Formats: sequence, C-alpha cells, structure tokens
Amino acid sequence: MSSGPVSSGPVSSGPVSSGLVIENLVAGYGGVTALNGVSITAPPATITAVLGANGAGKTTLLRAISGLVKPRQGNVLLDDQDLTGKTPERLARAGVAHVPEGQGVIAELTVEENLRIGMMSRRVTRADKVKSLAEAYDRFTQLADRRRKLAATLSGGERQMLVIARALLARPKVLLLDEPSLGLAPRVMAQVMDLVVRLSRDSGITIVLVEQNARAALAIADTGVVLNLGKVVATADARALAQDVALRHHYLGF
Amino acid sequence: MVEFMQFTLSGIVFGMIYSAIALSLVLIWRGTRLLNFAQGGMAMFTTFVAIEVIYKTGNYWAGFAAALAAGLVLGAVAEVIVIRPTIGKPQLNSVIVTIGLLIGLEGLAGILYGSQYRSFPSSFSITGIHLGRTPLGVSTSDVFVVVAVLAATLVLAVAFRYTSAGLRMRAAAFNATVARLSGIRVARVLTLGWALAGLLGALAGLLVSPSTFLYPNSMDTIFVFGFTAAVLGGLDSPAGAVVGGLILGVGLSYVGGYLGSGLTAIFAMALLVLTLMLRPAGIFSSGRLRQV
Repeated sequence: MSSGPVSSGPVSSGPVSSGLVIENLVAGYGGVTALNGVSITAPPATITAVLGANGAGKTTLLRAISGLVKPRQGNVLLDDQDLTGKTPERLARAGVAHVPEGQGVIAELTVEENLRIGMMSRRVTRADKVKSLAEAYDRFTQLADRRRKLAATLSGGERQMLVIARALLARPKVLLLDEPSLGLAPRVMAQVMDLVVRLSRDSGITIVLVEQNARAALAIADTGVVLNLGKVVATADARALAQDVALRHHYLGF
Repeated sequence: MVEFMQFTLSGIVFGMIYSAIALSLVLIWRGTRLLNFAQGGMAMFTTFVAIEVIYKTGNYWAGFAAALAAGLVLGAVAEVIVIRPTIGKPQLNSVIVTIGLLIGLEGLAGILYGSQYRSFPSSFSITGIHLGRTPLGVSTSDVFVVVAVLAATLVLAVAFRYTSAGLRMRAAAFNATVARLSGIRVARVLTLGWALAGLLGALAGLLVSPSTFLYPNSMDTIFVFGFTAAVLGGLDSPAGAVVGGLILGVGLSYVGGYLGSGLTAIFAMALLVLTLMLRPAGIFSSGRLRQV
C-alpha cells in the first residue's frame, strides 16, 4: 500500500514488536482511585500474572487497558502505538482482547453467534469466516457439538472455553483474562490454564492474567505482578515470586 | 355472528398498527432501555412529510416512500443529536428529553402545517370487501395495512436473525460491554436501531392516518395504544409486541363495538394496569429475571 523501503513496511507481527507497556496508570470510579500509578511491561508471547487481594485494583487495571475505564493519567502502549484513552471498540480493533470476569458469554445468543461476534473487530471475507470458525471448532471440540445451542445451556467450563475461543477469533495481540478459573472444577481449571500456556507459547499472544488463585497463576506465568491498594508492590520472575514466603503470606495468602 | 367477525377483522387491522408502534418502541427499548415518548410525534411528522409530497407529486406511493425515508432519517438524527448526550446520565434525563422532542415536533408541525385536521389518502380502495353477500367490514386498504406490517416485521426478523448487522444489534442489546470489547461500534448500532424504529413509526403513521385524520396531536392516542401493546407483550420481546398489538386491537374493537367507543381508552388503561400488576415483564416473559 505505502511506498518506501520494504524492510520498514508495516509488518504487524515483526520482530520489533515490544508488547504491552503500561506506564504510571491512574484510574478509578467517581471519587475512588482504584489504580494509583501502575507500571507493567508485558513482552510479546509472555504470560504476566497480576495478583493481589480483593480491591487491589486488578480488574480496574484490565478495564483501563481495554478502555472500559478511561485512565486519568499514564499511558497504554501496544507495540509502541499509544492507545491511551481510546474506546473499547477501537482498542479491540487494535488487537486488545478482554475477557471480563464471569460475564463474557452472551447467554441469549447461540454458541456460533457468540463466536461470530469475535470476528467483528477485523475485516474478514466470507471464506475467511468459515475457515476461522472451523479452526475454532477444531480446537474446542466440545463447542462444535453445541454450535446451534444457546450459550445459556453451556456449563461453566464450556462458557469459559467459549469466551476464550471468541477472543481468539479476533486474532488479538494481547489477551486480558480476568479470573478465568473462577467457579470452575479443578480439572476444568487445569484445562483452562493449560490452554493459556499454549496460547502464549504456540500462538505468540501476550497474556495478562488476573487471578485470585495465585498459586495456579504463578505456576504458568513468566512474570508475576503483585498489586495492593492500587499500587505495584512487587514485580518479579514468577518462580521467584512463588518462593518468596514473606510476600506470599503478606499479599497472596498461601 | 357477522358483527362479531367484522369486529374481529377490523380489530386485527388496527391491532397491526399498534403492533408497528409497539415494535418500534421495543427496538429502542432493547438497545437503550429507554421508552421513546416521541415515537408518535415522529410518526405524525413523517406523515406530514408524506402529505406534502403527495400534494406536490399527486402520487400516493411517492409520499409513502418519502415518509419511510424521513422516518429513517428522523430516527437516526434524533438519536445522534438529542439522545446521545444523555447517555450515561440518569435515566430520567433521557425520558424527559424524549418528551421534549415530542413537544418540539408537535409544535413545529403546528407552525409548518397548521393545526387543523387534514384528511389523509389511503393506499387502496376503502370500499368494504364482501364474502359472497356478507360484508366483511374491512377494505382492500385494510388488507394492505395487515400485509405491510407483517412484511416489515418479517423482514426485520429475518435481518435480525441472519445478517451481520442484525447480530451486532442483538449483541449490543443483550450485552453492550461484551459487544464493545468485541469491536462492535455500539453507538452506531444504537443509531441504526433508532432509524429502524423511525421507519416503523412512519409506516404506522401512514397506515393509521386515513382513519384518524392528521393533525399535530393525531398520533397521541395511537402511541398510548402502541405503548400498551408493547407492555402487554413485554418491552423486550419483538414477537410479544406484535401479539400484544393484535390482542389490544381486537379487544378494543370488541369493547368499542359492543360497549361503546367511549370505553376503549379506559379498557386500554385497565389492560395496562393489569399487566403491570400481574405480569410486569409482559405476557411473553419467561418469568426469568435478568441474568447475573
């Protein structure tokens, strides 16, 4: 499309991508400041676990990244592109997929309609749509049998698979997952965690994972970030964080 | 027996008009959780557009098309200019704004077209149809009313179910947050919803005006009946809107025919109050409250 040297063309997933960079983010609701100067760097194809107690600002962090809450200060950069303060629909088109906690499925729509919604943030031809859906059903076989069923009829685990499958159909660069293991049976939770690992390793998606279950999250994450009262109290290699007994007792409760 | 059949048939004809208004209210309600009090006023205004075009061109169908187009535009413009600034503010703000829009449109119609009653031509012949030697109490024009509303409803239903834009509208109505996170431009979807509601309202105005005359307040009663039909069927249910309109139309026709036309408004009001008392979510509600 554009002229100029081939080497500097707009390659979307080139080696120069710098992932998700959050600088000094401040956000809140009304008079409450839920997030008070948070900085996080999530390199491409890594998993960053965001941990902390209720009210630490974890969900607000994801909402501020995906545009559901307008940041009062700070920056959100994706591959060096400034996305601060953009609308959720604009951010979705820029490659940010946010799976909100426990409310991602549109129960009144069928499984397939939910999946088709995942492709509305990008330009797709009809053939492309069919192919992408087939791939999704290949990967999530339990959804294939229920494609004409209302999403309301799915189990908790199937719903979680559906929202992740839908997020993936957007071909995101960044996937924000809010409590994906919430309310799932241990075996199903293990499946979800396993899937998250494969998404970052195989598909190269940058993942920010908010979890109450710190132990499970740190087991699969590259980096752990601990939030408390809207501030980062620790950023470290996930394995090191899991072994920091004092920090674990103080903030993570295990 | 003949009388009963005539009341039933003419009730169905008026019921379809209430259905169209009810459907337009449901379209907006599902998208914005807002009751558009200006829906009748908008329909009145677009019918004045039709009458002007019919006088100028001498062609009924040119006026018909112009009114539908005006309905689309008026709905979209009303959403963008009047409603959008109230989104995110207390709900009462938007309600009052739609009432303001109604008063504004009625005032403007009075200034532009005067407030005298004007007769409005009908689509087809208004001579009654006979079955053998029995008069059915309805005309070709009445048949067109039913066909037009049914066709519009069917086209909308198919579009909602099978097109990408329809899926966008449903997604935005059921869960605006997820829709936005999926890249759907919900604001545009709402504008489209208002445009379609404007179109349906315009259709209702065209269909009802031959029997009511046209003046700035001419749609007020029709709006109340359409609103009653929508509540009866459940403000969330397009199918409910159509059935609610039919029930109300036939019911009002019996009350008017057997008990006297002075009682129709009271009957509608009683039906509205009863519905709100016994089944506030409408007769088509599954009893399911909002999911968490």
